[in-house]
Parts: sequence; C-alpha cells; structure tokens
Amino acid sequence: MTRSTLRPLLASVVAALALVVAACGGSNSSSSGGSSSGASSGAANQETGGAKTGGVLRQLGSSDVDYLDPGHTYYTGGYQLVYPTQRTLYSFKPDNGKDPVPDLAASKPEISQDLKTITVHIRKGVKFSPPVNREVTSKDVKYAFERFFSINVGGQYPSYFSSIVGAPSKPTKGVKPISGITTPDDQTIVFKLSQPLAVSVSSALVMPISAPVPEEYAKKFDAKNPSTYNTHVVATGPYMVKNDASGKLTGYQAGKSIDIVRNPNWDKSTDYRPAYVDEIQWTTNESDASIAAQQVLTGSHQALDTNPPAAQLKDAVLNRKGQFVQLPGGGYRYFPLNTTIKPLDNVNVRRAIVAAFDRDAALKARGGKFTGDIPTHFLPPGIPGFEEAGGLKGPGFDFLKNPRGDMTVAANYMKKAGYPSGKYTGSAKLLLVAANADPGKAQAEVAKAQLEKLGFNITFRTVPQDAVYTEWCQVPAKQVAICGSAGWFKDFTDPQSMLEVTFKGKNIVKGGGNNNLAQLNDPKIDAAMDKASTLQGDARIKAWADIDKQITSDAPAVPFDWDKTTLIWSKDVQGVGNPYYDALDFSFTSLK
Amino acid sequence: MSAGAPELLTGADEALTIQAAGAEREIAARSPMQLFWRRLRKDKVAMVALGFVILIVLTAVLAPLIVKIAGTPNPQTTNADLTDDFGQPLGPRAGHPFGVDKLGRDVFSRTVYGSRVSLEVAFIATALIILIGVSVGLVAGYYRGALDTLLTRTMDLLLAFPVLVLAIGIGVACSGKDGCAGGLIQPGLTVVIFVITLTTWPYMARIVRGQVLSLREKEFVEAAQSLGANDRRIIFREILPNLVAPIIVYGTILIPQNIIYEAALSFLGVGVDPSTPSWGAMISDATTIFKDAWWFMTFPGLALLLTVLAFNLVGDGLQDALNPRTGK
Repeated sequence: MTRSTLRPLLASVVAALALVVAACGGSNSSSSGGSSSGASSGAANQETGGAKTGGVLRQLGSSDVDYLDPGHTYYTGGYQLVYPTQRTLYSFKPDNGKDPVPDLAASKPEISQDLKTITVHIRKGVKFSPPVNREVTSKDVKYAFERFFSINVGGQYPSYFSSIVGAPSKPTKGVKPISGITTPDDQTIVFKLSQPLAVSVSSALVMPISAPVPEEYAKKFDAKNPSTYNTHVVATGPYMVKNDASGKLTGYQAGKSIDIVRNPNWDKSTDYRPAYVDEIQWTTNESDASIAAQQVLTGSHQALDTNPPAAQLKDAVLNRKGQFVQLPGGGYRYFPLNTTIKPLDNVNVRRAIVAAFDRDAALKARGGKFTGDIPTHFLPPGIPGFEEAGGLKGPGFDFLKNPRGDMTVAANYMKKAGYPSGKYTGSAKLLLVAANADPGKAQAEVAKAQLEKLGFNITFRTVPQDAVYTEWCQVPAKQVAICGSAGWFKDFTDPQSMLEVTFKGKNIVKGGGNNNLAQLNDPKIDAAMDKASTLQGDARIKAWADIDKQITSDAPAVPFDWDKTTLIWSKDVQGVGNPYYDALDFSFTSLK
Repeated sequence: MSAGAPELLTGADEALTIQAAGAEREIAARSPMQLFWRRLRKDKVAMVALGFVILIVLTAVLAPLIVKIAGTPNPQTTNADLTDDFGQPLGPRAGHPFGVDKLGRDVFSRTVYGSRVSLEVAFIATALIILIGVSVGLVAGYYRGALDTLLTRTMDLLLAFPVLVLAIGIGVACSGKDGCAGGLIQPGLTVVIFVITLTTWPYMARIVRGQVLSLREKEFVEAAQSLGANDRRIIFREILPNLVAPIIVYGTILIPQNIIYEAALSFLGVGVDPSTPSWGAMISDATTIFKDAWWFMTFPGLALLLTVLAFNLVGDGLQDALNPRTGK
C-alpha cells in the first residue's frame, strides 16, 4: 500500500504498510477495469488524438512532492513528476493501468524457464538531459538499482527486489555493487534471482527505481548523506525540471513550486508519449484546497494535483462535464473484524455483521459514490483478477448483496451462529479504534452505529491518525476488535500483493506491525496462496480470483470502498489521468 | 452571626439608604439573603439570563422528553438517506428542524442532548475546582509559612503550564482502553473534567488564599483565638462563611468558562466519544463543510453562545448583588 492519493488521510499508514509489503507475482491480462468504475463522463477525455501542442499548464497543489529523486520517491506527487521526466524500464499508458508497456526497455522482459533470470533489452537513442547529454546505457539502470539500496538514497521498497542475487538485506553505506545485476552489453541488463520470482520482480520493473541514473554524474551527490541527487536529477523523459549548467534544479523551490520544461535531448521517435504542453508550472503551496479547486474549475489552463474537496467535486460532477476524470484507486478500504476475538471468531457472526452493515452510509461518510464504489469482494477495479473475481457485481454472497445492509439476512446468520433472537445477546465489549479526524472518524462512527444495530457493545476510541495503525490496529496485543480506518492500495498491478499481506495467516505478526488486521488464519486460504504465487499468466489470475472469493466467504472484514480518484482541470484543458499513479499525466495532457 | 459581619454592615447601610429614600417603607431588619435577593431581582438582565439558565438546565434534564415531543430521531441515529450523493447533509426540513449532520444524524436532537455534556462537565468540574481550590487556598492562607510557599509554588507551576498542550497530551495519553492513573481517568468525559480541574483550581485557590490572608488578621478572628478556639473552628466557622460571596461569584464565572473549555477540548478531539453529542465536537465536525451546511455549525454554535452568555450574565448579576460596592 503506497502512494495513496488521499495524502492527508493515510500518509503515515501508507508508509508503514508499504515497508512490509512482500514481494509478489505479476503478469497481466484481462479486460476493462480502467473505466469500469464509473469513469462515465470523464472517459471521453482520455482520448488523446488531435490534441494541440504547446502552452503552459499550471497545476495547483497544497503539498510538495515527497522526493524528486526517482530512487527515493514513493508517493503520488513524486510519481507524477517521475513518469513524465524519466524513462523507467516499463510504464503505463493512461488508457491502460494494468498492462505495462516497454518504455526505456525495447521489448517485454525475457524470463527464463526456471523463473530465476530476467533479461531486459533497452532502447537506443535515449539521452540524458543537460548537463549529462550522453546516451543511456544498461549500466545506468544497474547503477540506479545499486544506489537505491544505499542509506544515502534510502530506497523505500527494497522487499520487491530482495530476491536479486547479492541485493543488500539492509541499507548499505555508500553505493555497493550487486552481483546479481549484470550488463553484458550497453543495451542489455540481466537480473539473477535467488528464488523463482521472476514474474513478480519483472512486474515491479515499472517502479521509479528502474529510471536510469548516470553514475559518473550522480556519484558525487550520492556520496553525501542524504544524497543531494534529489536536487540535481537529470531527466530522460520528454520533460525535465529546469536546471542550470551544473545540473542544479533551479526550477525546484521546496515547498513552493516546481517548474517543468521540455527536455531538449528527448527524441520523440523513441517514446510513446505525445508530450503536448511546453511547460508545467506546479505550485505546491496552495493554502486552501477549496479555493485552489475553485480556481481550477473556473480559471484557465489549470489543473488540481489531487481530489477536490466535496463542494468542488459536486460542482464538477453536476455542472462541468469534461472537466474531470475518475480513476480507479486500485485499493480497498475496509473494517477488519478481528477473528481472534469472541464473538468475531465465529464466521456466521462476521457474515451477519457484513450483512447488516449499511456500507453505503460508510462510503457517504467518505464523500459518496463519486469517491468510490461499494465493494462486493476485495480485489479492486484496475487490478488483474477483478473481473474474474466477479467484477462490480461480485461473487454473489447474500451477505454482501445489499449495500444498504439487510437485517433479515443478518438475523439469519446470527441464528446460525447461535443467537436465536437474531441479535447479539452476549456481554463482550468490542473495541473499535479510529482516527480522530474525518473522514476516518466519520466512517468509524457509521461502523459503530451499524454494529450496535445488531446488539453489539462497542467501546469507541479515537486516536491521532498516525497512531491508528502503528499503536493499535497493527498490535494484536491491543485486542482491537474492529479497526476503523483501514485501507490497502496497490504498488503495482498484481492480485497477490492485494490479498496476501492482508489475509494470509502466516503473515500475522503478533509483536506489532501486523498487517493481517483481521488475523484471518484459514489454512485452506494459505495453501491456495502458496500455490497461486508460483503460477503464471491466466492460471495465476484465476487462482487469485478464487482466493478472493474464499476470503470474501470468510467475511474477515467489511469492505466498503473501492476508491476512485477524481482529477479536475479548467475548461480549456484536455486533461488525461494516469491510472498507475492516480494523477494527471503531464505527458498526455494538452491545452485547447 | 459574627461571620456575616462585613456583609451585614453593607446591608445595613443600604437598608438605611432605602429607608431614607422611601419614607413610606417600614423599617425592618433583613437577612443578608433577603437583601441579596432583592438586589438581584432588580437586575432585569440577570433575571432574564437566570430564566435562560433554568431553561437550559431543564433542557438537559428533560432531553429525551423534548426530543420525543419534537418528534426528531434519537441523536445517535445515523441515516444515509439524509445525505446527498456526495455525502453532504440535508438542511432544515420537516421532521428535522435544524437539518442533519454528515452522517444524517438530527442536529436538533444532538443540540438538545449536547447541553447534557456541556452542563455535566461544567458543573462537575466547577464543583471539583471549588472543592480543591477552597481547601488549598484556606490551608495556604491560614497556615502561611513553608506550607504556603510549597502550595503557592505548585499553583504557579500549574498556571505556567501551556494548558491546551497539556490537555491534548493527557487526552492522548489517557485514550487507551484502560485510561490512565490506574484506571481513575477514563477516556472521554473524565479526561475532560480532569484536565479542566487540574488547570483551573489554582485560580480559585489564589483568590481564596488572598482573602484568607486578610481575614485571618481581622478582629473577630483574634477574638475567637483569644477565646481559645482551635484552628478548625476558626477556619470553618469564622473564615469560611466570609468566603461564600467570592466563591459563588467566581464559581458562576467558572461555569461558562468550563463550558467553553469543554467545547474547545471536544473541538480538538480530546473530549467525549465522538458519537456522543457535544456542542464543541459538532462545531468541529461542521467546520469543514460550513459553506455547504450552515445549519450544522449554526445551531450548536448558538446554543453554546447563549448558554455561555446567560451564565456570564447571571454571574455578573450575582456579583453585583453580593458585593454592591463593586457594582455600577
């Protein structure tokens, strides 16, 4: 779970979770997804043909990017900057957030039979921006990987690449060579793995780590702690942050603005990006989100960096067709039900809770149907396996049928669980912990009301946002029965990464930092996961869709929101959002 | 009643003046209570405010009945049908005279029930403050010396604390399942009451101490001492009754102050369980959507304003009536 676009909400949770996400398998296929979650009016704007070239786009934002350094960034803002300015080995076109396309790579990765070797050929003719100016070679990608593991750079998702032979298990002092990455020639890079995880590692080659970094130029910056390459990044994509002759990023004013201009060394013939606009002026110090959103909607040549506040979202949806797009957030928000706590250890009690739950009310507490869809299972739209797992309609369990809750179904399950009145009659007190600020607080208040409907006694605690996970929900000893502010979001498009960390019994960590918040421990599910993680292609998708169904049947949580990100822009902007990082794609957006 | 000496004197003065002004009045000795009540009754503003205070107290006591008569839903009842597709609450309408909040809960019911939390906290905290403040003030002022120094320095220390930071800190520290201080301070109301009491009693104690310092030198205390009265008798029978007026006056000023304090703490999220209706918490929740849902902040805000104003005016009236010399 990373790069949530709801940054004020989940920033720290996101970071905490991201660090422990295990490396997972990849591969892609399947249909729809991208537009399935109600992209409706925005969908037309994703067509990019015949757009005008030139002009200056202004993006208004209230927060700075996390890092400009592709080896360090792990957040929406940083990603939004990385992808139009860097050529990662693979990347996502705006119209398909599931299947990566070769970017710096010339073709799909070659995976060996034993799933232990990945070979990637890279394109000729891609050059670094000034002051480096030379052609990119495979050694620049190798260096990018090596520096990622250095303590000075502080790469934030090493677990995805820990299976590479010789990959450091903890941050290194200085940049150390990794023996498992070799460059037989300037156009080839080979990754040797210690385990048969080539499918998952290759699907992670879309991440910013794979953007090339010129060693001879970056070495002096990387020698410092922290690395000052962050303010001396050179670009390979169509755009670059404005810099001076030494490479210093003069266009970057921390906490104020980022000035993004064309990269003179970019060769259009090597790239799929159209790169329409000439310049992007990105302010990162807007003090009032509502005012900024209003300016964008009524102004000219502007776009907003993230979801607009409710009032402007309403205005856009109701009155401004063509000025917004909605992208699937690639994650699910849920109320985990702690399966180790009585009476939640009874599957029928959990099903009754899910059945009774007015999930529409919980979604409304987050902003309603334009900010997300009500899940019918866990695998979210935009992730392979979503359709196979039942799509929006879901696998058809009666307890997830009515988004407004169904007390009759709930009563039936309560009876099955041994409560003849159809309501809970015991005396157990269930601890519900949530953030003390909206929307986390509001959604948890809904949860409390829903549980009380069924007769449960709830102890409700609100704690600061950053403590919800680290001090409470992730610490089994705290006996949190229901976690009031949980969400799980993709790093890259893979069903395994969406389910394994959160629902595998073996992943329960008793001491703290536990991410299987429901502490679901179903040996059948664990066995199915072990098997599915070795599969490839369609079989893999199918296997994970089946696992999704089993998990849903176990009712370890109340899923209530498949997030959507809404991007808005001015009337004279042809905005294009990228579903991989849920932000405007500068290299596809144009002015009218 | 030697205790009432100063009050009786001022009372007698005024009684004489009244008698001089209105010759037709009969000369009669009035008890200090009667005099106080006569003066208070003449203060129209204070009487209106007192009426409102009684109304608020009745509202708090009879909240379930009022909500039942008004026909509005229970304050805890959420209803997603009363928010639009964007999760924005609907405004005042039939059945919901004050509109609803973000979760579709009735703002009228919540405002009515909110008076309970406000008054509960205000009265309990004020009582505790008076109890602690008067005890400490009496001891410090009467015994003086090292004990006084110790207590006064403790008060100074507490007064120097950044109150809100302390409140938030304690609120967070005690938010666990078992509370803190061995379970004595539970999350929710007791945290609020504890924080308010802890940071406010020194004000009361200082006022009392100052009074005691001067009272203990008065002749009637000397007289009592020379008659062989012990400390306990002097403190409780000679000095304490003379402190009733300042205690009442300061106590009534404390009540609205504590209401605001509770609202502020709830606003900051340190207060009661969020589903419990509290004016401060309602105002806090409403801030983010004020532009689209004015009713959500307006009604609890008005309730808070009027309640605080009423208590303040009653406090002023009491002060004037008890200490006519400080009056206008």
